Amino acid sequence: MERGYWIRSKPVYSSLAWYEKATAHLVVAQGPGGMAVLKLFQQMHPKQPITVLYAKADSGADFASILGKVVPEGLQVRDNQEDVLAALANILPSMYMGLRLYVTGSEGFIWSVAEVAKAHGIEDIDIMKEVSTTLARSVYCVHCKTITHNITTNIGKCAGCERMLFVRDHFSRRLGAYMGLMVDAESPGVLPEIEEIYP
Amino acid sequence: MSMINIKVAAIEQVTPLVKHFTFVKEDGSEFPAFSGGSHVVVSLDIGGRIHRNPYSLMGSPEETSAYHISVRRQEHSRGGSVFMHDNVTVGMPLKITYPVNLFSLAKKGRKHILLAGGIGITPFMSQIADLKRTGADYELHYAFRSPEHGAFASQLENSYGDRVHCHVDSIGGRLDLNGLLSKQPLGTHVYVCGPNSMVVAVLETARSLGWPESHIHSEQFLAPPIGEPFKIQLARSNKDILVPSEMSMLEAIEAAGVEADFLCRGGVCGRCELQVLETDGALLHNDHFLTDAEKASGRKIMPCVSRAKCERLVLDI
Repeated sequence: MERGYWIRSKPVYSSLAWYEKATAHLVVAQGPGGMAVLKLFQQMHPKQPITVLYAKADSGADFASILGKVVPEGLQVRDNQEDVLAALANILPSMYMGLRLYVTGSEGFIWSVAEVAKAHGIEDIDIMKEVSTTLARSVYCVHCKTITHNITTNIGKCAGCERMLFVRDHFSRRLGAYMGLMVDAESPGVLPEIEEIYP
Repeated sequence: MSMINIKVAAIEQVTPLVKHFTFVKEDGSEFPAFSGGSHVVVSLDIGGRIHRNPYSLMGSPEETSAYHISVRRQEHSRGGSVFMHDNVTVGMPLKITYPVNLFSLAKKGRKHILLAGGIGITPFMSQIADLKRTGADYELHYAFRSPEHGAFASQLENSYGDRVHCHVDSIGGRLDLNGLLSKQPLGTHVYVCGPNSMVVAVLETARSLGWPESHIHSEQFLAPPIGEPFKIQLARSNKDILVPSEMSMLEAIEAAGVEADFLCRGGVCGRCELQVLETDGALLHNDHFLTDAEKASGRKIMPCVSRAKCERLVLDI
């Protein structure tokens, strides 16, 4: 990869940290992201009201029972991502300016949460985000407009048109996906080496 | 910088200290369209010295046959506002810049709270027209000293009804900022324009209540302060000039015939920033644009409002 090269649209994620001036905290986590939530409570237990929404993992570590012990009140556990997003959409209308939103999970989960938050007036720059699972990318095919999830390689096959797509760093916050371009348009069938780079 | 030739079409005394000026183009054509919160810079020739003062456009952005500004008389200042009050008459030709907006509404906002103090009402006059026209959710809180100083208050109440809340200091109507900003729905933006103490109070209250910076907006044009005279050297133009006590550095540079960039002339926009090449003294920063670190570095200065206490100051212009 070229050094010193940087794509402005590519999101930068951090580690979750409490925003001390917030008047309320809302933490949304998925599966292995429960560890990031536990680390957050290791920093401190803020005095402001806290709500934690947790989506159980399809596979991998599940933190529902430990979170139940660490977060004495305000924890809501749901079976999957859809139910957590529905719970979020339910909670946000009763929240006020001064709320801080924290999200951790896969990149796809983070941007699904951001989409719900945006519909309720929270911009993604004001959301604290930590990618806590795989680096696998959702890729938007610029040819057929299909989004293919969980691509872990530099080149992946589009689930819609089956073109082989080069996965770029250019990211759409609206779609929660990276841009994918046909890699062998000029010399059909001639592909660079396919490597796993987003494990 | 290209200017618009205008003439004064009407002048109205609105309060004991505020006059409202209506401008039309000298050739009778329409003005350029503008957005709520925009300002223009008015050029005034006061005894051969050019003053350029920024004023918010306060008409409705839908109306481009005339521009409207309001000027508060500032007794102990450099004379621009006093000249507007005492010397500018109906029919007089003047030059203004094209409108620039440094205080625009956040288009994605779901609710807008406008907080005005005194003459700080002017940028909101055009913004509130935009908010009503687009069907947005908004409220205006307008604080002023006493009933006779509430410029445009009754006009605002007539046009915008219970969206307008007046807080009159002399009859105990102080604005409770903490109460106002603590229970606002997500997606609310707050805007403040007024005296420094009010702007600071709003910024501090919103921040202490956890509001993100992206939802807090302020506008506060500074008038160039009067100070000790000092000498500057313009490296690229190869000129040595004196900045008199009642002139800003930017005005002195312009008076010496050197073209300098500017937009707001009030220490806000950053357009007139100059590199400091050398100095033997202290820079007196008065702007709201440079960060504290930049000010401390002594490498940059905003000539519209800042001064220096030195024998030698070399600027890259």
